[in-house]
Amino acid sequence: MSDLSEKDIEVFIEAIGNYFKQATKEAAAIKVAYLAQNAFPMNDYTGKIMVSDGYEGALYFSAPSAMLRHLLTVMKETNQSEENLLDAVGEIANTISGNARKYFGENMVISIPEKIANLSENLAQQARSYAYVIIIKWKHYSASLIVDISRNR
Amino acid sequence: MKLMIVDDSNIIRSRISRIIANAKLPPIEIVGTASNGTDAFALCVAQRPDIVTMDLTMPEMDGVECTALLVEFDPNIKILIISALSDKATAIEALKNGANGFLYKPFTDEELVNALLELIKENE
Repeated sequence: MSDLSEKDIEVFIEAIGNYFKQATKEAAAIKVAYLAQNAFPMNDYTGKIMVSDGYEGALYFSAPSAMLRHLLTVMKETNQSEENLLDAVGEIANTISGNARKYFGENMVISIPEKIANLSENLAQQARSYAYVIIIKWKHYSASLIVDISRNR
Repeated sequence: MKLMIVDDSNIIRSRISRIIANAKLPPIEIVGTASNGTDAFALCVAQRPDIVTMDLTMPEMDGVECTALLVEFDPNIKILIISALSDKATAIEALKNGANGFLYKPFTDEELVNALLELIKENE
């Protein structure tokens, strides 16, 4: 395994910023980014994408319910059921990881999204000793993007 | 003109429907939606849409495989891939399998309308 570089992580940061800019005409800002080992800032709903082939691990996008409801409202989606809130985090995680393949290439194989309510702050498995945590801010809400991905040699 | 929407995300299927309903496009009837390639193929055989918007990463049967099957079944069908997979190899594979266009997620309303207009022109 080898580590992802700062430049690699910027790809995910750019993808999340672009998602909000395209979907809502308001880019998400990066509030803080750090490395974490055992405790991760999980919110009400989390979308998880597993990566495989040339890479291993997972990417998580976790957001509070209020933020997702606001996002769906901006996107003119009136159905704000729990199913659609879960759908939203799954779709955002899928879009970020899919967009990242422009940079990482097709040997970063990505799974279909897993959508989870109230995910524990401790991950069952970690690909990296320390995963990247990126806290984003959109309007007055905070959400987290967790990149627990390593490159297979 | 008949159109079908294939995507495993509820909110994307609903958003595409909404954009089409509000856009200045030639009359389009949405004849069905599906959340995976298996259901999409069965629905296409029954409904015979002119245009399909197709996601790639889906459970059961992915969009590339479904596109190849649909084009084999109906060589005149127009398929617009709408996917977050932004690497060149994926786009080339989809086009080789018979897709007529590729729109990257996240997309704006205008980008979707323009992509559909291109396919409608090709269909005329």
